[in-house]
Amino acid sequence: VESKTDEELMELIVQNHRYALEELYDRYVKLVYSFSLKMTKGDTEKTKVIVQHVFLRLWTTKRTYSSAQGKFANWLLTITRNIAIDLIRKEQKHKGSIQLELDEWRQMKDQQTEDVLQQVSRNLLKQQIQEAKLHLSEPQQRLIDLLYWEGFSLSEIAEIEQEPLGTIKSRLHQTLKKLRNYFKEENGGVRHGR
Amino acid sequence: MEGFVMEDKHENLSLYVVDELSEQEREEFENHLRTCIHCQQELDFLQETWQALSYDVNEVDVPVSLKSEVMNSIFEEDEIPLKAQVKETKKNSLVERIKVVFTKHFSPLSACVTAFLAIGLIVLFFNNLELKDTITALEKDTFEPTQQIVTTFTLKGKHSAASANGTAYLIQEGSDTSLVVALNHMPSTKNDEVYQVWLLKDGNRQNAGTLRPDQNGNGFISYRLPMDYSFDNIGITLEPNPHNIQPKGQKVMGTS
Repeated sequence: VESKTDEELMELIVQNHRYALEELYDRYVKLVYSFSLKMTKGDTEKTKVIVQHVFLRLWTTKRTYSSAQGKFANWLLTITRNIAIDLIRKEQKHKGSIQLELDEWRQMKDQQTEDVLQQVSRNLLKQQIQEAKLHLSEPQQRLIDLLYWEGFSLSEIAEIEQEPLGTIKSRLHQTLKKLRNYFKEENGGVRHGR
Repeated sequence: MEGFVMEDKHENLSLYVVDELSEQEREEFENHLRTCIHCQQELDFLQETWQALSYDVNEVDVPVSLKSEVMNSIFEEDEIPLKAQVKETKKNSLVERIKVVFTKHFSPLSACVTAFLAIGLIVLFFNNLELKDTITALEKDTFEPTQQIVTTFTLKGKHSAASANGTAYLIQEGSDTSLVVALNHMPSTKNDEVYQVWLLKDGNRQNAGTLRPDQNGNGFISYRLPMDYSFDNIGITLEPNPHNIQPKGQKVMGTS
């Protein structure tokens, strides 16, 4: 089992092989757990519930994951984030069906750039994003935290910041662009070659 | 002008990445995307940037017991429909099976003991029957097989309704949530008076309906919660007349 790829394990899960789910759990629980713990701001009980829902979701997802859809870890974290937001923001009862799959798949980027990413270790990326965030202004950092980590919608953020929605929208664009430029610089040499 | 339109599209790029476009805007943008190589490249980078935010996490140790908790919850949930099926098919022969089990496996003494225990059970059962009847009568009206109690609240009376008590159940069926409140020993109401149930959340009140107790002081109400609505506490007031948006009368019962 250990030698199987994530993609092969997802196929086995579709065929109801429990050990495949357990293997994926062993591979990714630390990532999912740590990510959820940040989203719940350290609430271990909520974090456990999120982890449970994420793996239940993997088990009930009767759809084969294909590596062409992007890196498995990214897909998994997209699911985790959606489930966490549903739970934290109570936008949906967590018992209700969470039907964001299409969006999740759409949000996945294509594999070409993924291969580049896969060559860089996770820790290096973490360092990069943390450094990139230092380049943001305070309102820009706050925007990322509210939007990405706390799951507020842009209109809710406009209300929180007491600013027009249009301002928040352009701030989002400026912020992503700034972060993107920083990444471009870091990984640029590799990327231009693709 | 041209530049302004382009900038607009670029903003949509970000909104697309964070999934903040409406259905229609998204379709329009996807159409634009097909013909705009610049946007395609930009989208690639922005999506990568958005996903890279997930790396901003300090890894922590996972509780060891979590794996069995997660796996048990997943696989128990999976097996329930199976068990229910098995029960159904065996139902018909149940009486016969009991007979067989009795004659095969029980000595006269243990049969006596079993019979004695069985009688005891039956007595207990009948003791509870009255209560059960009330509950099933309630359930027949409002309950469907897939409904599940999510939370139970205990309600206590005070002031003019100090004698009263009751229970409220939050019941989930699919994506619908209903509140069922059953009250006992309620002082009777006069004239237009009604008891009104309120759901309290962060200092806001939601009207969940009014009721008048019957001659025995029993009151009952069921209320379907609005989508995605949650509340912290339940309060019941004695109102001089029905159809209030905000309480006017005194709070006589509550969860706390």
